[in-house]
Amino acid sequence: MNQSPFGTRRTRELVPYLGVAPGLLIFLLFTFLPACAVLVFSFTNLSGVPNVGWEFVGWANYERFLFSGESAANLQVIERTLVFMAVLVVVQNAVALAVALLLNRGIRGASFFRAVVFLPVILGVTVIGLVWSLVLDPVGGPVSGVLNSVGIDSALLGDTTWGFAIIMAIQLWSAVGYSMIIFLSGLQSIPAELIEAATADGANLWQRFRHVTWPLLAPAVNANVLIGIIGSLKTYQLIWVLAGGRDDTVTLPLAVFLRSFGLSSDPTPDQGFASTLSVVQFILIACIALPTMAILRRREVQL
Amino acid sequence: MTSSPAYRTRTAVAAAQRTLKAAHYLVVALIALVYLFPLFYLANTSLKESADYFTDPVALVTQPTLHNFTAAWEMGRFGGYVVNSVIYTAAAAGLGTLLSLLLAYPIARNYVRGSSVLYGLFVAALFLPLSLPIQFQLMLALGLYNTQIGYVLLMTSELGIGPFLIANYLRGVPQELDQAAAVDGCGYFRFVFQFVLPMSRPALVTVFVLHAIGVWNDIVFATIYLTDPGSLPITRGLFAFYGEYGNDWALLSAAVMIVALPLIVVYIVLQRYIVGGATAGALKS
Repeated sequence: MNQSPFGTRRTRELVPYLGVAPGLLIFLLFTFLPACAVLVFSFTNLSGVPNVGWEFVGWANYERFLFSGESAANLQVIERTLVFMAVLVVVQNAVALAVALLLNRGIRGASFFRAVVFLPVILGVTVIGLVWSLVLDPVGGPVSGVLNSVGIDSALLGDTTWGFAIIMAIQLWSAVGYSMIIFLSGLQSIPAELIEAATADGANLWQRFRHVTWPLLAPAVNANVLIGIIGSLKTYQLIWVLAGGRDDTVTLPLAVFLRSFGLSSDPTPDQGFASTLSVVQFILIACIALPTMAILRRREVQL
Repeated sequence: MTSSPAYRTRTAVAAAQRTLKAAHYLVVALIALVYLFPLFYLANTSLKESADYFTDPVALVTQPTLHNFTAAWEMGRFGGYVVNSVIYTAAAAGLGTLLSLLLAYPIARNYVRGSSVLYGLFVAALFLPLSLPIQFQLMLALGLYNTQIGYVLLMTSELGIGPFLIANYLRGVPQELDQAAAVDGCGYFRFVFQFVLPMSRPALVTVFVLHAIGVWNDIVFATIYLTDPGSLPITRGLFAFYGEYGNDWALLSAAVMIVALPLIVVYIVLQRYIVGGATAGALKS
């Protein structure tokens, strides 16, 4: 520790703590401690109904999650969560990288297109949700009209088979812009001479990408993959706005929210069980994020 | 006259490049269409009379009317919602950025005990489990449920990578100035606000933008913690309007336009800061 040089001999050591205190307090109180307490309350039957007591129930919530009548449905929720994450991490980044590479090739109006693709990040979930509900209106909407003309009749967002896939597509639409600008700034940090040298050596488009652009893009790729993993497990607002928490669209984080406040098909708030779902999700993140980080880090070091 | 093989190769290459360029523009135009069509369709719908929408929803508007806009403005409380959202966003993101700075500076300079532990704490926070049910119990216990101040405090506490980003930035700022200012009798907080704050402006803009996007877009916390119609932010207010008039798309589209248009204007004006801020935030994390 260094001593702060400010103030008198008596105050100089204490003053920085005064600055740290409010931020640390608010962070510990509202974010950190509740997150730790989730683990404790996952072993209780806390209901969330005001003035109803709670007690410890051991592993009951975990047994209910894994070995009860609803466990098949719960495993489907996990499966859906993993699919959602895979789409957000792999497909979203692939699309974002493709768009970034395209916009980086000296296209006229590139900054306009960049702004257009980033726009949904600003519009927010409610506007996005309502705009797409309008476009995908199964009664007379334009998409439905096109599908009807080729003989397909679908409830689109309301469809129990395709609804979740459509939601993922909208999520992709709304978040590609964010990954794209990260790739774009990564691309712009690659020295043009390197690409020119590779071209002079006779490398074709694919070889230049594979051996020059891709390795040098490692920091942007790593940032995007991590943001995707963390984000996909915290992104549930849009799913809720688009489908209202219907059973066949629920992912783990959405389930935590719905179960906490009795908004799912089961209208009784069940905050102990919701805490258990949150812990399961935490374990899932850890199992995926930690090895991924290790692999990404190694790739970055090798350069 | 026959052209040389070299000339023919060159024209072939040039032709291929032209085709490639045309393909680029085609793909870019398609992407723009996927992004702009929903907004054009929304605008088109919002300018129709409800009766016209029911006869043919997809048709281009022939007699544009602003009737839906005036009706939606009167029926919703959009003015109030927008004001609420602006206040919540400015307060929570502003306070959050300030607190992040006050945390980050002594951590970066190692002026407090356990600086590296604190630094690690804010990184670890990114991976913490969702704590919705426990936060709810906490808010109830503190008497902050359904209060605007409680909502702002909660949104402020979502510091995310803020302290981490600013600390990283400040590590690149030389420390000699601290000593010099202290010798001249400058106090700690005066130094932070008068010197550190302007020096770390790029990092602060990033942190503010990231935090503000999060607060502005929140609908879940607003749903849980704000029940009084007068205190709802725009996300929640618009969603409530949808619940009430969900079958009248012409009216609803006008309401969405009322919310989206000012955002688009702000975005166009501040694009450089918003996009730049978001990029810097992601790459340094």
